Amino acid sequence: MTRKINVLLVDDSRTVLAQLERILAEIDDVAIVGLARNGAAAIRMTNESNPDLVLMDIVMPGLDGLSALRTIKSMHPEVSVAMVSSLSGDASKAEEAFKLGACHVLGKPFDTDLVESLVENVRRDRQTAAVEPE
Amino acid sequence: MSGVRFFGQFLIDCGEVDASHVREALNLMDRENASIAEIAVKLGFMSDVDVKRVNAEQRNRDMPCGDLAVDMGLLSSEQLVEVLQRQRSRRLPIGQALVSQGCIELDRLGVLLDEFKADQAQFDTSSVSLPDGLANRRVTQYVLDLLPRYMLRVGGIRAKVGEIRAFEDVPEFGEVRVSVPMKGARGVDVAIAADLAFSEALAVASSGLDPRDLDQEMVADGVGEFLNVLCGNAGSLAAREGHRLELGAPDYEAELCDGWTVDLAVGVGRAAMVLSTY
Repeated sequence: MTRKINVLLVDDSRTVLAQLERILAEIDDVAIVGLARNGAAAIRMTNESNPDLVLMDIVMPGLDGLSALRTIKSMHPEVSVAMVSSLSGDASKAEEAFKLGACHVLGKPFDTDLVESLVENVRRDRQTAAVEPE
Repeated sequence: MSGVRFFGQFLIDCGEVDASHVREALNLMDRENASIAEIAVKLGFMSDVDVKRVNAEQRNRDMPCGDLAVDMGLLSSEQLVEVLQRQRSRRLPIGQALVSQGCIELDRLGVLLDEFKADQAQFDTSSVSLPDGLANRRVTQYVLDLLPRYMLRVGGIRAKVGEIRAFEDVPEFGEVRVSVPMKGARGVDVAIAADLAFSEALAVASSGLDPRDLDQEMVADGVGEFLNVLCGNAGSLAAREGHRLELGAPDYEAELCDGWTVDLAVGVGRAAMVLSTY
C-alpha cells in the first residue's frame, strides 16, 4: 500500500503557494496539511500538523527559511525539509541549506519532475523506515 | 528546463547522490579548503590582528574579505591576486570531494561534469548592449539577458529588451510597480512598472489560477514573483564570478525615482523595467 505524504508549504508569495499546490495535486497520495507565509508560522504548523515534508522558501520577511530550517530540524529531525529559492544556483546559499539538514534545494522556476521525484524519495524513505526494525 | 543550479544540486537531481552525500562532501571541503584570510596569513601578507579587523569591518560593510582588506590598506591588490590564485589552484571542488568519499567514480565524474556544463550552457549569453555610464554592468547584463526567456517560461509572454535610457519619470501606464533589491557591492534594484493587462497575464500564468480568482494583491504578487525568479537566477550567475548578492523581498510600494529605464516590447499589455544601481 502506498503511504500518503503530508506536505507543509511555506512561502510569503501566494503565487508560489498556488504553483506548488497545483504541482502537488498531480501527484497521487499527497495531502497538503498547511500553508504558511513565514518561518515562525512554519515552525508552529510543523508542530501542529506533523508533516512528512516541508517545502520552504529561503527569503521571507520576519523569520527567514534557513533560520526556520534550523529550528525545525532540531525539534523534528525526522521531518524532511526541502528549501526553495530562485537564488539556489548560488552555491553558498544551497550549501548552507544542506549543512543545516535540508534534503534538497529546489530552484525556481519549478521543474515539475524534480518536485515529484522529491516527494517520491520522501515516500520511499518513510516506507523503508516503517519496515526497518528499531 | 531547470534554472541556474550548482553542481551538487545537479547531481541530486540526476539521482547520482543524495543530500547526505552532498552534506558530507561540503563538510570535507570546509576542512580542506583554506579561506582567503588563512592563506593571506600563511603567506605573511596579513597578521591575525589584521584578519580580526577585517572581520569586524565586514559587519558594517558588505564586501568580500579580500576586497575589504585591500580597501583597508591591509593587503595590496597584487597580494590579493596571488592569494586568490593560490586558493583556486588548491581548492577541493565538490566533485572531487564526492570522489574521495567514494560516492562517485572518478571516470564517472568527468562525464557528469560535461553533462552539467551542457545543462548550464543555456545561460551563457550576452546579447544586450548596455549604455555608457550604467554601473554594475555584469549583474545588469545577466538580468536583461535572462529576462526574455524567463518571461516566456514563467508568464508565457514574449518579451524583447528595447532602448535603455536615463530615468526621467515612471511610465504613465505603470499601474503596478514592484521592485526587488539585489543587495551587495555590485547590487542593483530591479523594478517593473506595468499596466494591469500585462500584470494580470503574468499572475494568471505563474499561479495557474483562474483570472476571476485574482485579487489586487495576487496580481502584484505575480509580478513580484517573476522578478524574484529573474533576479535570483541572475544573482546565481553573478555568484559564479565572485559577486555575492543578497536577494531582498519584493517591495510593492517602491518609489521609482532614478537610475535607468529599459523599454520592454511585450506580447500582452505594456511594461518597462527600471534599474537603480548602487
